[in-house]
Amino acid sequence: MARTLIRRVAFGVIAVLGVAVLAFLLEFVVPGDPARAIAPRAQSAAVLENIRIQLHLNRPLIVQFLDYFGELFRGNLGTSYVQRQSVTSLIGPRLLTTGWLALAGVIAEVIIGGTLGILSTLYPRLRAAVAAVNLTFLALPQFVVGLVLLLIFGFRLHMAPVTGGAGPAEIVLPALTLGLVGAPWYSQIVADQMADSLSSAYVRTAVAKGLPDRYILWRHVLRNVLSPAITMIGMDLGAYLSGVVTVEVVFGWPGIGLLAVNSLQNLDRPVVMGTVIVGAIAVVLFNLIADVLRMYVDPRTREEPA
Amino acid sequence: MLGVFAAIAIAAPVFGSPLHQNLIGGLTPTGLPLGMSWAHPLGTDALGRSELARLAFGIRTSMIVAIVSNVTSIALGAAVGMAAGFFRGPVEAVLMRLTDVGLALPYTLAALVIAGLMTAGLTRVIVIITALFWAYPARLVYGEVLRLRHRGFVEASEAMGASGVSIAARHLAPHMFPLLVTYSPLNAASAVVFEATLSYLGAGINPPTASLGNMISDGQSALSYAPHLLLVPAVAILLITMSFLLIGEGLKARNPDLKRVSWLGR
Repeated sequence: MARTLIRRVAFGVIAVLGVAVLAFLLEFVVPGDPARAIAPRAQSAAVLENIRIQLHLNRPLIVQFLDYFGELFRGNLGTSYVQRQSVTSLIGPRLLTTGWLALAGVIAEVIIGGTLGILSTLYPRLRAAVAAVNLTFLALPQFVVGLVLLLIFGFRLHMAPVTGGAGPAEIVLPALTLGLVGAPWYSQIVADQMADSLSSAYVRTAVAKGLPDRYILWRHVLRNVLSPAITMIGMDLGAYLSGVVTVEVVFGWPGIGLLAVNSLQNLDRPVVMGTVIVGAIAVVLFNLIADVLRMYVDPRTREEPA
Repeated sequence: MLGVFAAIAIAAPVFGSPLHQNLIGGLTPTGLPLGMSWAHPLGTDALGRSELARLAFGIRTSMIVAIVSNVTSIALGAAVGMAAGFFRGPVEAVLMRLTDVGLALPYTLAALVIAGLMTAGLTRVIVIITALFWAYPARLVYGEVLRLRHRGFVEASEAMGASGVSIAARHLAPHMFPLLVTYSPLNAASAVVFEATLSYLGAGINPPTASLGNMISDGQSALSYAPHLLLVPAVAILLITMSFLLIGEGLKARNPDLKRVSWLGR
C-alpha cells in the first residue's frame, strides 16, 4: 500500500509539473503585449519598454522560464502585473470562496443524486422517471442550468438574489446548479452498487436472519456505495476547486474561476499561471485523498490495480 | 431525431438570414425583442433578427462541431493509445504521462488559454475540443491494446514477421472499432455542450455568427424581459445532446461489455 501511494504521489507531481510547463509555454505564445494591457493609453515606446524591463519580459524565454520555475519551487507564484500584489495573496481568499461553493455543490450532488438512485432502486415504477431526469441534466451544459435557475428563482419568483457576490443567500443557486448537473453520476453509482449488493449472498443472509429492512439498507447495502462515491466526490472537489468557471461567471461568484477569466482578458500571466497550477494541484490532490480514503473504507481496493 | 437536426443543419438557409436586422418591424415600438408570431415563429432577438433563422444556423454550427471534433479527437486519442500500448518502453511512458497531463488539465481554463492563441470561429472550437478531448479515448484504446497484445492472433502475426504498423492496422484496429463507436456519441454530446460553453464565455464562435452558446449569452442580457431568447437555444442543446446520448445507449445495449454503465438503468 505504501508503494502504491508513493507511485501515485510521484505521478501526481509529474502531472502538475507537466500542466505548469504547458501553461507557461502556451501563455507565451498567446499574442498580445502585457505591457500594453498594463498601460493601455501609454503612447511612448519608452514607457512600454520600461514596463517590459521591470517585468523581465525583455529577457529570453528560457531565462524567464528558469526564473519562474525557480521561484515556483520556493512556493512563490510571482506578482500580478495588473493588481500589484502577490499572486498567492490574490488566489488565497478566492480559493476559499470557491471552496465553499465546491463543498456546497458536492453536498447538493450527493443529496440529489443519492435520493434519485435510492428511489429508482427501491421503487421500480420510478425508474423511467429517474432515467429521464438523469439524461436531461447529463445533456445540459452547466451554464444553461444555471441561467434557467436564475430565470425561475431570481427573475420570476424573486426568491434568490440576481446580482452576484459571495454570501449565504448567493450560494444557493450556484450550488444547486452544480448539484443538478452532477447528480446523474451519483444516482448511477448508487443504483448500480445497490443492485449489486441487494442480489448478494450477505444481504440474503441478513434477510434470512430476520434483520429489519431498514437496518439491512443502511448497514449492508448503502455501505457498499461509499467506496465508489468517495472516488467521485474526490474527483468533483478537485475539479470544482480548479475553478467552476462557467458557474462563477453566470452567478458572478467571486472565486478562482472568475479570477482566471478576468486575468486572461488582462493578459495577467502570473495570475493565470497561478490559477492553472493551483487548479491542477487541487485535481491531483483530491483524487489522491479519495484513493487513500477508499483504501481505508474498502479493503478490497488496497492492492495495486493491474 | 438526430436526422431532423441534420436536416435543419443542412437546410439552415431556408429559414431566412440569421444576420438580417429588421430594426423597424423586428422590434416592439419600445425597442424590445418580439415574442412569437407568424412572421417570426420564434420571435426576434434584441437586434431584431429572426430567432428561428439564428437557431437553424446555431444548430448547423453545433452539428458540424459534433461531427468533426468527434472524429478528430477520437482519431488522435486512438493513435496515441495505440502507439503507447503497442511500442511500450519509453514511447509508452511519455505518451501515457502526457495523457495523465491531459486528464489533469482544468478543462475550461485550458480552453480559454488556447482560445487566446487563435481567432474566433469554427476551427478554433474544433482545435480546442480536439486538444482537450483526446486523452480519454487514448486511455480507453491503451487499455484495450494491452488486453489484446498477447492474444494468440497478435503474437502469431508477429512471429510471421509482420511489421508493427501492419499488425496495428490489420489486427488491432478492428477490435478498437466497437469500443470507439460506442464511445463516440457520448464524445459528440460532450463536444456540443463544450462548444456552447466556449461560445458562451466568448472563447468559441463569436457573434454575429450564430452558435447556440452565443445565442444563450445574448439571451442572458434579456433574461428579465425576453426569456425565450434563453430558452429556445437551451431546448435545442438539450434535444441534440439528448439524442446523442440515446444513440449511445442504443449502441451500449448491443455491446455486452459496456451494458453495465447504461444511463437507462438495467
